[in-house]
Amino acid sequence: MDKKISVKVCLGTTCFVMGSSNLQELIDTVPRKYGDKVEVEGVPCLGLCSIDWEFSKAPYVKVDDEVVKEATVEKVLSAIDAKLQ
Amino acid sequence: MFIDIDCNQTKKYNQNAYGDYFTSKKYQDEAKLIAVLSDGLGSGIKANILSCMTATMLLKFIEGDQIPISKAAEIIMNSLPVCQVRKISYSTFSAIEADEEGNCKIVEEGNPEFIWIRNGEVLQPEYESIPSKTFKNRCLKVYKLKCELGDRLIFCSDGVTQSGLGGGRLKLGLRREGLIVLLQDKLKENPDISSTELSQYIVNQARNIETDRLAKDDISACVLYFRDPREALVFTGPPYHQQKDAEYAKLFANFKGKKAIAGGTTANLISRELNRPITMDTTISIGKLPSCSYMDGVDLVTEGILTLTKTQEYLESGLYDIDNAAGKLVKFLLDSDCITFMVGAKLNQAHYDPALPIEIEIRKNIIKKMASVLQDKYYKKVSIQYM
Repeated sequence: MDKKISVKVCLGTTCFVMGSSNLQELIDTVPRKYGDKVEVEGVPCLGLCSIDWEFSKAPYVKVDDEVVKEATVEKVLSAIDAKLQ
Repeated sequence: MFIDIDCNQTKKYNQNAYGDYFTSKKYQDEAKLIAVLSDGLGSGIKANILSCMTATMLLKFIEGDQIPISKAAEIIMNSLPVCQVRKISYSTFSAIEADEEGNCKIVEEGNPEFIWIRNGEVLQPEYESIPSKTFKNRCLKVYKLKCELGDRLIFCSDGVTQSGLGGGRLKLGLRREGLIVLLQDKLKENPDISSTELSQYIVNQARNIETDRLAKDDISACVLYFRDPREALVFTGPPYHQQKDAEYAKLFANFKGKKAIAGGTTANLISRELNRPITMDTTISIGKLPSCSYMDGVDLVTEGILTLTKTQEYLESGLYDIDNAAGKLVKFLLDSDCITFMVGAKLNQAHYDPALPIEIEIRKNIIKKMASVLQDKYYKKVSIQYM
């Protein structure tokens, strides 16, 4: 079995107010859709808003090493799909 | 020593105002506190006004430090008017001035004698009587005592000692002796009981022995407990100079007491420097706050500004037992006596993006507000270290 795809939803202050609170539904929906191929977790902070602030694109989600900016549920799901192909 | 003080009250049944009044103030700089318990004549609104006036005036008199506590109490005693109907004084009071070395000055007029307990035994302190020059039936008792670690002082209104009066089992009421037995039993069962719990216990017991559990008088109990302080540390925000991360992480690790981290970046910093992994709570955050995380050796890990802002709100409005990260932080803070905040001065520019849907406060300001509410409302000892 291949390595699981890791999805990390940033729940730091900036991301949280910019919408990652809604991304938490991924914790429920992703395992239902992909079974155990993908693992979703919240993380305290990815530290991206502080280095990328001039182009603030929060909320951020990391799908393996790929950063999804201005993340939405759809964007994250398509990033996962791309990885799985 | 830390002085754990609290007062609990219940009002006479069918009344909508408390006839006893308790007020206290801590003076952090002088490491002392002043507390006053006053019982107003009668009950309800009238008693409420009388006791409130007596207690607040006495507190103001004493805190000015211009006259000694015994003199202040004497002036009040001599000037309290007499009720036209009952021919007795308008209110009675007990006042205490205590410092963290255990030095206490206590004055009493009309209230039941306070109880001083050391290792389960009741001590009988000496006192000086100052009879009133204007009223024959008034006499001030002035005590000077030296309390030691573990000592407790219990003050109450006559609603406690007279509870159950005329009822079935206790014809003369609970009285001081009955209260002492209750206290000694409770302390044997739970030697480290907090002042909040003990004062609540006294009030509940007093009400329970009243006929039909209806308080026939206002019941108040105030407890002082001299004990070692419970220390807590809250680390929030990354330090201004990143090269000092390791140093601060070490300070954090070496702290003796309970520890909390408020902030994602801060949590990552500690995790990196101390090589301790973080795991986030898998439950989806309820409401408007991110959930907590877990790290070995840290009692609580939360998000930063949003949680702190909410915590400050809860502390100010007196909301406890709320099941979210801020509620947990409130409990963490209130379970401690001495709280140190390590506040990182580094700002995250992204927080001040006008496009953000809510306003994010500056960390320093929230901590300042939180410190003052913890000191003024909850009598905590707070120190803040910026870094």
